[in-house]
Amino acid sequence: MTNIEPTTGKYIRLTVQGVEYRVYFEESGQGIPLVCQHTAGSDCRQWRHLLNDAEVTSMYRVIAFDLPYHGKSLPPETLEWWKEEYRLHKSFLFDFHTEFGKALGLERPVYIGCSMGGHLAPDLALERPDIYRAVIGVQGTAHSGHSTEIWWYHPKVSNDFRFHAMMAMQSPTSPEKYRRETAWEYSQSAPFVFKGDLYYYFAEHDVTKTAENIDTSRCAVYLMAGEYDPDANPDEGRRLAGMIKGSKFVAMEGLGHFGMCENYPVFKTYLMPFLREIANTD
Amino acid sequence: MAIRFMDPKLLEGIRQYVNNDPEFRLASKFVIADILLGVGDSECIVKIREGSISEIQLNPTFMDAWSFYIRSTEDAWNKFLLPVPPPKHNGLFSAMISQIFKVGGNLEMAFSYFWAVCRMLDLFREVQNN
Repeated sequence: MTNIEPTTGKYIRLTVQGVEYRVYFEESGQGIPLVCQHTAGSDCRQWRHLLNDAEVTSMYRVIAFDLPYHGKSLPPETLEWWKEEYRLHKSFLFDFHTEFGKALGLERPVYIGCSMGGHLAPDLALERPDIYRAVIGVQGTAHSGHSTEIWWYHPKVSNDFRFHAMMAMQSPTSPEKYRRETAWEYSQSAPFVFKGDLYYYFAEHDVTKTAENIDTSRCAVYLMAGEYDPDANPDEGRRLAGMIKGSKFVAMEGLGHFGMCENYPVFKTYLMPFLREIANTD
Repeated sequence: MAIRFMDPKLLEGIRQYVNNDPEFRLASKFVIADILLGVGDSECIVKIREGSISEIQLNPTFMDAWSFYIRSTEDAWNKFLLPVPPPKHNGLFSAMISQIFKVGGNLEMAFSYFWAVCRMLDLFREVQNN
């Protein structure tokens, strides 16, 4: 007997900032488009539980992509990318999300992203408020003020370091099999990608002085923060929410940095009220 | 609560417990390191040699060399070793970036051998609660 999941995977050719990329994405469900942004150094597999949740996919068309250089989205064929240091920039993320939505013909989609995707939520609401009707930032903060990035790409430090560092970013109460799976995904990216993504995370993202300018009547803002995240913890999430008039925030007990993949059933209890509210606000 | 991996009466049992763990043996297969663990003012050096802990040396002197250190207060170690540690104490990396644990010395080696070190500390947590 076959047991095929409803999630399908496809490739799309996207031109972003003058460069063509072959981008992999997965989708499931029907309804309001819900675009999922993975974390730095990982890929769309982080969203597999959401993609397979019938309660969500009965309301939302859930779409998760691999950014170029991540997962199944290869580096571009038209650039000699090996001759320059890889760095992910905010402007690229903005343009990528714009082009991705246009290419798929998404009407008034909703955004959800974790970690660097959580940082991107307020950046989108502030600087590109017309792409998404609402953004959900998971583990996002106003600014991440410290960096350990030199060790994320070092010829004598293997991907094992990323694996076991990310184990400690998750809640000890989350199932070990999913904590290990989340870390597994981190151990699989090209050696320099995580560090390159952190350029956006640490260096470019900073809404400390601008978050108050976000107009939630144009783009609604929802924020979520797991208690076991040593960096983007609930105090930081609450602080960011306090800067954005009209935003909503929830602290997630028993979750760490990767709620959607480290313990989806618990994550879902916090997410569903936001998804229902957004759907009912339409 | 007393830190068990610093208890001279328990050292040999702890060493055997860690060495019997299949994940630790796998993780430490290529590790040659002397790791100084500091609990408040107390110290020990855990010597790992290619798949097992060869010795846990209590109260090292200035003549005893080590590769890298992991230091914190006794209170922080006690929290770290709880069956369900509180936030920022649940793993070496989270405790490190929260500056609750200090890691220093040969960082290149510490991060190269991170799997073995983390697994060893997880097993110390099991020992602490057994």
